[in-house]
Amino acid sequence: MARQNYQEKLDSLESDVLYMSEVVVDRLRTALTALENKDDDAAWEVIDGDSEINSLYLDIEQQCVDLLALQQPVAGDLRFIAASFKIITDLERIGDLATNLGEYTLDARHDVYPEVDVQSIGDKTVSMVEEAMEAYAAQDTDACFEINESDDELDAMCEHASQSVVRELIENEIDDGTDVETVLEEVSRLLLTVRDLERIGDHAVNIAARTLYMVENDDELIY
Amino acid sequence: MSQENMSNDNVESPTEDPTDDDMLLETDVTSGLEEGTQGSRTTHERTIVEAKDVNVWYNQDQALRDITMQVPENKVTAMIGPSGCGKSTFLRCINRMNDMIDAARVEGELYLGEKNVYDDDVDPVALRRRVGMVFQKPNPFPKSIYDNVAYGLNIQDIGGDHDAIVEESLKRAALWDEVKDQLDESGLDLSGGQQQRLCIARAIAPDPEVILMDEPASALDPVATSKIEDLIDELAEDYTVIIVTHNMQQAARISDKTAVFLTGGELVEFGDTKKIFENPDNERVEDYITGKFG
Repeated sequence: MARQNYQEKLDSLESDVLYMSEVVVDRLRTALTALENKDDDAAWEVIDGDSEINSLYLDIEQQCVDLLALQQPVAGDLRFIAASFKIITDLERIGDLATNLGEYTLDARHDVYPEVDVQSIGDKTVSMVEEAMEAYAAQDTDACFEINESDDELDAMCEHASQSVVRELIENEIDDGTDVETVLEEVSRLLLTVRDLERIGDHAVNIAARTLYMVENDDELIY
Repeated sequence: MSQENMSNDNVESPTEDPTDDDMLLETDVTSGLEEGTQGSRTTHERTIVEAKDVNVWYNQDQALRDITMQVPENKVTAMIGPSGCGKSTFLRCINRMNDMIDAARVEGELYLGEKNVYDDDVDPVALRRRVGMVFQKPNPFPKSIYDNVAYGLNIQDIGGDHDAIVEESLKRAALWDEVKDQLDESGLDLSGGQQQRLCIARAIAPDPEVILMDEPASALDPVATSKIEDLIDELAEDYTVIIVTHNMQQAARISDKTAVFLTGGELVEFGDTKKIFENPDNERVEDYITGKFG
């Protein structure tokens, strides 16, 4: 094949993006486990591991810049590099949001509202990120649209969770002996947790949208 | 095809009424800015060169196969493809430069405006007044800068104020400021990039409708290349430019339309440059422009 070195660089870029996604998904799972078990060690593992994700991001970003500058890619190759460039930004942000979850774990001493099923929401986001990256690897455009639809379900789950928290706040009077500031911190932390998980879902949709553009030059999901 | 005893009576002179709509085939009046036009050039596309089933042979070897395409007026159309694909052959069909090759045989119809340039009554010399050409290697004549530009005016007996035409042509070729004080000096004393702009000035002096360029920057350094590319963009405001280039990035940078010829003399895809380089329809085109073959 002509331009073998160039093709090897494209293959390497794809491998590295997929590796970065594996690291990010692993961190996200660890963060959810830490949150569920109040596991400070696991939380620190996620927080300390963010620098690795940032390094991967910078390395892959440089690969993209080098390919653009030195190889002048066009057509499908150009769309692949442009999509990968955008996707690693989403992965890096997912890593940041996983770090947030780790920090919430360190601050949280107990579940303020155990009936809010954070783990189900978390599992949904993990699945969406995994499916988005599988779509990228397999160039599966049908899966891109399915992920977009999954986000509607995730948004509904997050909205339901947030409304539950607000309803609890309104309906349950705070005992005289309860520290109001502490309750406010715990409720805020829970709402932030839900919000961050919802944002991870948005990043999964971004990945699917860029994948659809990459494969079919279709920007329907980019908004 | 006989090319003897041709008169130029039926070749309309562009200087008489170069904007006459009747000379042009209106094809796509709805084309919008987003359709791949560049800069501030008009979005109104009218065909000025149209090929219908053009085939070319060199002896028994077929160089072009059933080429059908419409080149829009006042745009830059690039022709790309691997060596031997026939893109230069097609370029030379437009001003009948292939007539000079004994072994060449052309079939099909090739229109400039409404006139088939291969009709028996077409005078190739008159045709070349309407279709100028710039070659790969700058080829100024061993004459003064002034005489180089005025050459086409003299041999084609074109009247008017030659001093004014020479000055205007050199200005349009972005060379006037560099040579206005040395018009009597030899064109051969200029740098390579200046010589090529001199050749462009020579090509536009007779006020052609179409300028053909066969790899005009391939022998130039990056700075001179950049000047030629800027010049091509400006020329397209007044002329139709058809350029053959091996440099795909150059085609992407400067052209509105791109025609991709592949081995065997086949026109595989022709369309807006943006479309060709971002999302070509043809898989062979994608493979070629991404360097996977060719």
